[in-house]
Amino acid sequence: MKINSFKKRALALLSISALLATIVSIAPATAAATDPVCDGKTPIQTCLGKTSDGAGYEMRVPSNFNGTVAIWSHGLGVSWAVPAGLLPPFPNGIPVDPRPNVTPGTVVGSTSTALANSILAGGVAVMGSGFPVQGWNLDEAVKTNVELIGIFKKTFTKTNKVVAWGYSAGGGITQALAEQHPELVDAVAIIDPVAPVTAMQKLLMDALWLFKTYFDPTMKLTGYSAGQAGDLEATADIGKMYSILASVGANMSTGKWPATASASGKALEAAGVPSRSAMLLCALLVGVPVQSTSYDNISGPEGAQKLALPLVVSPALASLENFGLALTSGLSMAREWDTKFGANWYDNTKTNFADQLSESDRVIYNAALSGNSVIDALLGVLNPANPGAPRLVGNAAAVAKASQMYSTTGKITVPTIMMTGVNDPVPAAAWIQQVSDGYTEQYAAEKAAAFKKYQSTRSYVAPKNKLSVLWLKPPKSWTKFDAAGSPIAQAYVPGNGHALFTQGQFKFMIDAAIKAANSGSVPSGGAHITAARKAGLVMDKYSSYQYLKYFNK
Amino acid sequence: MKAMNRRKLITASAVLAIVGLASTALPAQAAEVGVSSTEIKLGMTLPMTGTASLGYNKIPGAAKAYFDYLNANGGINGRKVTLVVKDDRYVPTEAVAKTNELILKDKVMALMAPLGTANVKAVASSVNPARRGVPVLFVNTGFSGFADTKKYPTTYTVLPSYIMEAKIMGEYIKENFAGKKIGLLYQDDDFGSDALAGFKTAGTKFAVTVPYASGSQNAAAAAGWITKFKAAEADVVILFAVSSATSAMLGVAAQLKYAPQWMLGSVGGDATTIKLTGVPAGVLYNAIGFSPVPATTDMKDEYVKLFSDIYAKAVPGSAFDLNVLLGMNTAFMTAQALKAAGANPTRRTLMAAIDSKGATFANSALVPAGYSKTSHVGLTGYWVGKYAPTGDLAPIGGTYVTYTTDSGSGAVVKSTYKRPAMPAKGLPN
Repeated sequence: MKINSFKKRALALLSISALLATIVSIAPATAAATDPVCDGKTPIQTCLGKTSDGAGYEMRVPSNFNGTVAIWSHGLGVSWAVPAGLLPPFPNGIPVDPRPNVTPGTVVGSTSTALANSILAGGVAVMGSGFPVQGWNLDEAVKTNVELIGIFKKTFTKTNKVVAWGYSAGGGITQALAEQHPELVDAVAIIDPVAPVTAMQKLLMDALWLFKTYFDPTMKLTGYSAGQAGDLEATADIGKMYSILASVGANMSTGKWPATASASGKALEAAGVPSRSAMLLCALLVGVPVQSTSYDNISGPEGAQKLALPLVVSPALASLENFGLALTSGLSMAREWDTKFGANWYDNTKTNFADQLSESDRVIYNAALSGNSVIDALLGVLNPANPGAPRLVGNAAAVAKASQMYSTTGKITVPTIMMTGVNDPVPAAAWIQQVSDGYTEQYAAEKAAAFKKYQSTRSYVAPKNKLSVLWLKPPKSWTKFDAAGSPIAQAYVPGNGHALFTQGQFKFMIDAAIKAANSGSVPSGGAHITAARKAGLVMDKYSSYQYLKYFNK
Repeated sequence: MKAMNRRKLITASAVLAIVGLASTALPAQAAEVGVSSTEIKLGMTLPMTGTASLGYNKIPGAAKAYFDYLNANGGINGRKVTLVVKDDRYVPTEAVAKTNELILKDKVMALMAPLGTANVKAVASSVNPARRGVPVLFVNTGFSGFADTKKYPTTYTVLPSYIMEAKIMGEYIKENFAGKKIGLLYQDDDFGSDALAGFKTAGTKFAVTVPYASGSQNAAAAAGWITKFKAAEADVVILFAVSSATSAMLGVAAQLKYAPQWMLGSVGGDATTIKLTGVPAGVLYNAIGFSPVPATTDMKDEYVKLFSDIYAKAVPGSAFDLNVLLGMNTAFMTAQALKAAGANPTRRTLMAAIDSKGATFANSALVPAGYSKTSHVGLTGYWVGKYAPTGDLAPIGGTYVTYTTDSGSGAVVKSTYKRPAMPAKGLPN
């Protein structure tokens, strides 16, 4: 097997970054509120306008409008423009994109007309806003959505049901909208959602700090300069992150460390610790999945590598592939929050990284981590007493500012359908598991309360089930190999990647949410399960994905 | 009105009584996943192909041989026991996928003898048999942690723990090699952690310890290990390692004519498996080994005789070795648990049966089992033997001297355990 050919493939993989790759350059919106301007066409009229915060919005309303509207919230876009010509995966840079989407598209950041039309054909209107700001915008976007719902109801007075849906950051926006304004939405569909901001900040900053500590101490992460100079510094950090991924990927077999490795990293290398084990440990410490689009940790080419690849190497390759997806947005966010809250907004001086390696991960991935002695050596570098691994020391005022953002609670207030790929690198499965477990307790409490009421009234009214979770699981195995036995990079495998679903799966979600809006409870029973199965989704009441590390309490 | 009600009550009671009678006379009702009126379905994951499968891949054949014998003799209350086997190639992620298949697609009643610490742990955290109420019977790993009933409430160990084994090794060293320089090769994971914990409790002092990461073992690595043991002038070298590491070590040692007093842990100590890798039987001669069950060549032992006869008919030409004996013994214990679980066994009654009666289940082991309502600990000790010129492990001086202990700070003591006689025809009673 030739793993050194991975370098080229790593760059190809990174170029498909689902979070950011499809954004097109348009100047940020700054206009004041405008009433919707409708084209009056049949059978579908389109209305455009701006909310009072200057966010552009679009509505599509069918002639046979039945009173239900679906409001879509798109995923994360950068809040600052990544310049062109600096990052090989993004030769044109990454511009800020404030355009509205009314449904998910075939790729993130676009609207699928076919999907929109299939929803409109049922008499349901669709709409969405581009939001007043990009980046992590839950607080702003909820306000925009609240206003947009009001504008729609005022314009189309027949409106009697509002269904909200969104993916990625849009999933977080939708969850926040339901938590803060359950009176405005009748049901929600939440797809590959981001976790609460505090958990996401920890995940992203922990991961970046680990990269800096092991592989490149020149990464800034905080304290970026103002304006374009800061943009360039953050872009350079993204480039360094790609270089680390490419270097570790190219040296999977030898275990050689990047030339930029820290003194601690070089000492580990001298002691025989392979860089792949450090990369895998980074993923396990922050909770990024270690199965990915191209690496299932199951398959190996015929011959000696049949066992060694999945046992020793694949988990690191998968970590690397997932980091490529997760950390581009992570660095984009680091720069954004640095500007927003001030330098040193994040503090990890009290983090015990050793505690973040779960007992089961230590055992299950022991071979890929090169054994307990290596694990302990790698964790030893992260000890606060190591002067070669300085922690991020937060500024109290900046840290306080960062904590002011709305953090979703996961409480279910309205009928909610959730969907995620189990290996989403964001990673949504961890958060949905927690929401699901929390709702199990919530529902049990509601049932207990209903029974208590029954004891006094002799009239039992069962609480309505308000949560349905659909999992997109990968096939039995999916890594593919070329004739030489090298793994082949793949662009899409169900259950992997971020916010990657078929149009049929999106349609299933919105249909289920509309049904829930009408009935007041989530669909269940044979027809729902069959429809889910046909869409390639499964319900699993025994799922047990690990929680995000923020919740290691 | 009251009379009417009474009549209805009487009628209903009569119906219930008839149903009750019928249920004892007719074939049992299907009331549990994996249990029908004619069959009890069990599932097993382990490496059946690939480099890690050597030796282990005989276990399903051995277990099936016993179950076929059992089924030919009436099964469990008229139900046949069937075993669905899935190859996980010793890869944890594969074990998770295959176990999911066993539970969701094949709908087995229980998992039986899944192999490998990492694999069992991966399944515990990802498939979560405990949350599903699925029994995990008699795991094929000696990791002491699996006896933790809070973490793994549906899991039952059977092999003595690695801690117990290390403690017993330590005791043997104290009695026989006092003052000698001891070297230790161990796997640098939970398997090895258990060993280190056991040796620490036993007070064993090492001149040198050599860890190896799982997956790194090969001839080149073995040459490096030998260099370290030679440098430390180790008189006794303990190989607390998997078969592939043990074989690599012994093979290279033979080439280099390096011959300390070997002491082989039970995990990598199956002579048949070692010999299959090309290691000459003579290299094993006089090495010290440990086993909880009788020597596989001991045809005076009623279990060995019966099991070897059954196996010879079921799998002609295949050597009757430690993996086979342990596989058949586990199947035999499983059969007793199923029988003890009642006329219509469920997952709950199966586990309750082991909790209440498991310590008295007949089996070939020469050491007691520790099952109780608060303990899922299986066998609790070993006898010590030496490898004969043929490579077979035999008791020193022809007499089994067994030691028993626990996974904690309990003393290692010579066991006075008297194994109960085998039930008639080796069938559960």
